[in-house]
Amino acid sequence: MVWKYIATRGGKIISASLIGAITIWIGTRLALSGQLVMAAVFVFGAAGILYVYTAARTYPWRYLVPGLVFLTAMVIFPIGYTVYVSLTNVSTGHILTKPQAITQIADRMYTPVNAPTYSYIAFKNATGQIALLLKNAANDLLYYNGKLTPVQPSDPRFVDDNGDGVPDKFLDYQRLTIRQVVKNLSYLENLSIPDGKYRLRMASLLAFKAYAPRYSYDVATDAVTDLQTGIIYYSDPKTGFFTAKDGKVLYPGFPVYIGLSNYLSILTNPLVSGPFGRVFAWTIAFAALSVLTTFVLGLILALLLNDPYLKLRRLYRVLVIVPYTLPALISILVWRGLLNTNMGVVNMQILMPLFHIKIPWFTDPTWAKVALVLVNLWLGYPYMMIVSLGALQSIPSELYEAALVDGAGWWKRFSRITLPLLLIPLAPLLIGSFAFNFNNFNIIYLLTQGGPPIPGAQTPAGATDILLSYAYNLAFKGGSGHQFGLAAAVSVIIFLIIATISAINFRFTGALEDLSKNV
Amino acid sequence: MKKALILLIAVTMIAGLFVAVNASQAGKLIIWADETRAPVLQQVAKSFEAAYGVPVEVQQVQFGDIRGKLATAGPKGEGPDIIIGAHDWLGELIQNGLIAPIVLPKDVINQFAPVAIQAFSWGSQLYGLPYATECVALIYNKKLVPQVPATFADLLATAKKLTDQAAGKYGFLIQEPDPYHTFALFSAGGGYIFGKNPDGTLNPCDIGLDNAGAIAGANLLSQMVKDGIEVPGADYNTVTSLFNDGKLAMMIGGPWTLPGIQKAGIDYGIAPIPPINGHTPKVFVGVQGFMISAFSKNKVLANTFLKDFLVNKDVMLDLYKLGQRPPAYLPALDAVKDNPDIEGFAASAANGIPMPKIPQMASVWSAWSDALSLIVNQKEDPATAMHNAVAQIKKLLKCGQ
Repeated sequence: MVWKYIATRGGKIISASLIGAITIWIGTRLALSGQLVMAAVFVFGAAGILYVYTAARTYPWRYLVPGLVFLTAMVIFPIGYTVYVSLTNVSTGHILTKPQAITQIADRMYTPVNAPTYSYIAFKNATGQIALLLKNAANDLLYYNGKLTPVQPSDPRFVDDNGDGVPDKFLDYQRLTIRQVVKNLSYLENLSIPDGKYRLRMASLLAFKAYAPRYSYDVATDAVTDLQTGIIYYSDPKTGFFTAKDGKVLYPGFPVYIGLSNYLSILTNPLVSGPFGRVFAWTIAFAALSVLTTFVLGLILALLLNDPYLKLRRLYRVLVIVPYTLPALISILVWRGLLNTNMGVVNMQILMPLFHIKIPWFTDPTWAKVALVLVNLWLGYPYMMIVSLGALQSIPSELYEAALVDGAGWWKRFSRITLPLLLIPLAPLLIGSFAFNFNNFNIIYLLTQGGPPIPGAQTPAGATDILLSYAYNLAFKGGSGHQFGLAAAVSVIIFLIIATISAINFRFTGALEDLSKNV
Repeated sequence: MKKALILLIAVTMIAGLFVAVNASQAGKLIIWADETRAPVLQQVAKSFEAAYGVPVEVQQVQFGDIRGKLATAGPKGEGPDIIIGAHDWLGELIQNGLIAPIVLPKDVINQFAPVAIQAFSWGSQLYGLPYATECVALIYNKKLVPQVPATFADLLATAKKLTDQAAGKYGFLIQEPDPYHTFALFSAGGGYIFGKNPDGTLNPCDIGLDNAGAIAGANLLSQMVKDGIEVPGADYNTVTSLFNDGKLAMMIGGPWTLPGIQKAGIDYGIAPIPPINGHTPKVFVGVQGFMISAFSKNKVLANTFLKDFLVNKDVMLDLYKLGQRPPAYLPALDAVKDNPDIEGFAASAANGIPMPKIPQMASVWSAWSDALSLIVNQKEDPATAMHNAVAQIKKLLKCGQ
């Protein structure tokens, strides 16, 4: 009975126990490396999944768990993390945690004037203890048993076996060769031997040097004192820096929770609120125009190529899909070259010879917008064509036959049958396309970089910047370095805008679905 | 069973992610280098291993990714001991607390080009061991321009004669024109980016891009467009391919343009940009070097690796062969001095200033390049455009608030 059970369930048992073992191993590794939260999440998550896939009671959950796991990992976690970052000041200068920043600051040393440097000889005994003989022109020092004492070279505890003037033994300690010194570096490097007001520390493989600590950190006052100048830097929970009275700060700083400051600065900062209306309007216009133009062209091509009487239609289908198969990154850069005002093929080889006009594609705001929509049309219509072609197949041909019998012309057939039935499956895709183009950073950044700039502008927002590219400029190219907190706040705001627009759109298409039930 | 198997594979893969951490650990050196430089370091690593018995692992990381990856991996203790990088990362890396100073004796420091040491210094400390400098210079086609013009005015006169836009022939082009390539015009008359505080550090609120000298440079650029010499919007690919086709006589370019020119078989020369109204133009100098992570557990070893194994004529020459940039190490530079390319770029760099390395530089680039775009497209007069750009930068940097 037992053997039969094992024979039939053996694979399951072995794999389940293997998974369990691996889970525990990873969990311990994570916990040991200090990632306690990660370890807990991982172990409990894995245990839960194992339970779901082994217990009979949880059978229905087996189909839900993969989806839920991916939903958590790819949607909920990133959104949650973005919201969290948007409430902090994480940015250049505020990357390390506060304890890390304190360790680094407190670890800083300076070399006092006339600080002595010592060459050294290291000795090690059988139990692994290390003694040092530190030598310089003025005096010799012995570091032994955690104590530093002056020593004479003639001290009988040193034994010079080969008579080269360099001691080879100290008591039962053996002298270390340079390779052995290297093996013990992690010990030697961390030595900080008090010598009066200085500390002797390893300066290089061959020398120790006297240093003095530059800063001291006081837990009670949460402040750092500069021991060289006496200036006190207090921890500032608003800016994430140790700050002196005169406003001077110590780097590195640390991230602090700043509440809604990032959001408030977006709403009240004239750098943002000034061009916001213009940028927002263009973002909406760009996304809407992109969806509209690609959909219209894609649909027209789909209708043409769906005509069963068209010869070579397979060939045509392949040819018009070509833009979709090229990497957008390359296509956009090629288009940038083609549309170059003074040297591009479009102006110099086509428009100039034929019409004697030179279109300022990237230097005139209106033409730059036209260029963006045209290039995006070229990039986007194949997708719309493919989905339209697919959707067209699903429209029953009886409907057209019935319409023909009723005497409906092609426009009536298109507007009353094709378009409404096409929009049911395509509406969610159009909304998706709108959301995608709303955030289509690639094409803006690669084609116009938000340009052309606006004369006299007080902000770095160009004529074709969309919300996302402008946020990128502000967070990563403006100010000082990378402002992740600010960028996260902008992302959350853009997320809310798109979520609202999509929700409204889905309601609208929900109405269409009701309509379809009545057909 | 199948499902269990898939699950098992998935879990093992996740486990793999956690096992493959390349943490800095005591007794082992990890170096992050780009794919071009990694092979040379691999050789040096071998001799280091032979000398000290310490394993050295050279990991390939894309040059542009090194800075960002260090910021995520370093503080978690998963980063390298030594990285390769550019000096203008310094401000960001130091403010983030990601790199540690290196210690070199005075006599070693004196063996390096002063501009390279200056580039890797921050306050009184040195944060990198430089190996190469790079800057732009005047690159000219010897068939079209047999003699380097003595002054910038001569250069423009020659360029005007050679330009025939209808026939696709150009005398002199500055790429885009962008801030990096046009800085020479601004700096010649006394334009600068950041002024200095009394203690020698850069003052991000003292911006010299709209002083008289800088505006003179902007006017000159605008005039070059009006005279039909400079073509707005000529990007890197356009300019270099025109030059490689023999259709462009002179350009401002860096060492990265040379492989293409050599392949095209153009007889070229390299010279410093000639004086503008009697003033020597200054170009930006970028310096590449090695830095030590603040989270390294082997700082003494890493420092030894830099000081004793990389400061070596043969190693520096090997690095030079891969990048064709003038070595920052003077004995190596001496050895390649006869190479006319190096001579040209080194002469240009001698008048150069290190590219500002404070993070505030980011806002300067974008406002300045917007201003240049408005100037060359004649949308705004040069003085107004530069005043606006400086006002915009000061606003972004919250100066005077």
